[in-house]
Amino acid sequence: MKSLTKIGLGILTSVGGYLEVGSIGTAIQAGAAFRFSLLWTIALGTICIAFLTEMTGRLAAVSHEPVVAAVRKRFGIRVHLWPLTTQVVIDLLVLASEIGGASLALELATGITIRVWVIPVALLVWALLWFATFGSIEHSVAVLGLVTLSFTVAAWWLRPNLAELARGLVPHRPAQDAARYGYLAVGILGATVSPYLFSFYSSGAVEEKWRVKELMPNRIVAAAGMMFGGLVAMSVIVVAAMVLAPRGINGDFYQQAATMLSLPFGRWGFRVFCASLFIGCVGAALELALDVSYIVGQSFGWAWSEDQPPAEEARFALGYSIAVALGTIPSLLGIDPLAFTMFSMAMTVVALPILIAPLLVVMNDEHHLRAYTNGWITNAAVIAIVALAFALAVVAIPLQILGG
Amino acid sequence: MMADRGISLVRDLLDAQLLDGDERRLGRVDDVLLEIRDGRPPRVAAMEVGAATLARRINPTLGRWVRRAAIRWLPVSLRPVRLPLTTLRAVGVDLEIDVDEATKRRLLRVEAWLRRRVVRPLPGGKENEA
Repeated sequence: MKSLTKIGLGILTSVGGYLEVGSIGTAIQAGAAFRFSLLWTIALGTICIAFLTEMTGRLAAVSHEPVVAAVRKRFGIRVHLWPLTTQVVIDLLVLASEIGGASLALELATGITIRVWVIPVALLVWALLWFATFGSIEHSVAVLGLVTLSFTVAAWWLRPNLAELARGLVPHRPAQDAARYGYLAVGILGATVSPYLFSFYSSGAVEEKWRVKELMPNRIVAAAGMMFGGLVAMSVIVVAAMVLAPRGINGDFYQQAATMLSLPFGRWGFRVFCASLFIGCVGAALELALDVSYIVGQSFGWAWSEDQPPAEEARFALGYSIAVALGTIPSLLGIDPLAFTMFSMAMTVVALPILIAPLLVVMNDEHHLRAYTNGWITNAAVIAIVALAFALAVVAIPLQILGG
Repeated sequence: MMADRGISLVRDLLDAQLLDGDERRLGRVDDVLLEIRDGRPPRVAAMEVGAATLARRINPTLGRWVRRAAIRWLPVSLRPVRLPLTTLRAVGVDLEIDVDEATKRRLLRVEAWLRRRVVRPLPGGKENEA
């Protein structure tokens, strides 16, 4: 039973990776424009992120330190400054996207303009962080996140052609519009293989005081949590492919896309869509704001734990408070949340190599991992992921211009 | 624990997390200082902790700016805290140190100031409320 509750960390982490505004947005566009043929990007992203979360969870369980702390110690501040600054910027960009996304969900649901919702959404996120503990946030987001399985139910109900589904899991050259295809592939991978997922996951594992005996649960939680997210993201593609594509809706606007669950669920479909988007975005915003406090606090050796009241850890609490405040700026300025999200995804991809490469060194360091360093499979996986990240980083900006 | 294989200054001390006996996090070792002595070998003088020290390690000019800015604008002193190696109790991934309350207070000056001036006045900002 106790190890069952650990799955909460996996699901919370994957909500931030798959069910937030960028992932849902790119998945809808992918399904609407290319039917099932981009499913492989989710599968690939899921494998990558499952490996990365397992590793950083293992580091946390063995050395009781999160990945960012290990990078500062192993590389020293002069090197660590670069991944740290990069990740804080990326976290803030994506956090701003999520606050915009949650506000957008409320606009869809109520018809009241998005700008009205930005401050209430930010206050909600801040209040949850300020007053709640890590465990209560983790379990409530994990349980509420199950609402998004409605996409999977809908995909099931629509009875997709299984042979076509299977073909989508293998990369193919698209028949037309290769630039947009590449742009969406990079966008989906950028939204999925997000560096904050594994820095957050390893911090969560330290918060929950994982020990060496948690190594097996860690594997299961990392794999199952990411598979949950991957399943929902694939379902979004399938539903978009079967509902939006035949009607010629391209998924560029959430307003149209929001009707995609109406076919299977009728009147409730629209509400379920808005609720899923809102929960995913708020869950991701919580994760991102905490991640900013985590990585800054860990880098400088401050006390950091979401389980302590703010007065015990003033710097930690003020860190996420400032992050949330900064995250409201783009939406308040009236920048379109979807455009901003796509920009954040592209920036994530560009930053990816800087943030993943240090893992190769840290995860092979016996000082930190004792007998539990990476084996050849996990090392091969990190090298492949870093290579993939470099390739994506190189093509991200040209594709952003050509395809977006 | 630390005697058998020796302590590497860079590997074990520099950038390591400092903890007190109750596992409270007190900062990181931002620099390690050697003392040059006439006619005798140099000796490790202290571990240094502080924002200005860290800034100086990144870039000397940045270090000077941080120090000047802190003196001029900040209500809290950022003067680096020096910890002699005799405070070390255990060396592992993290460093456990044994320091008196006054030193601990100096290590947590900024934290304490923010708690008093910013967090406590806010709702839910008292220690016993959560």
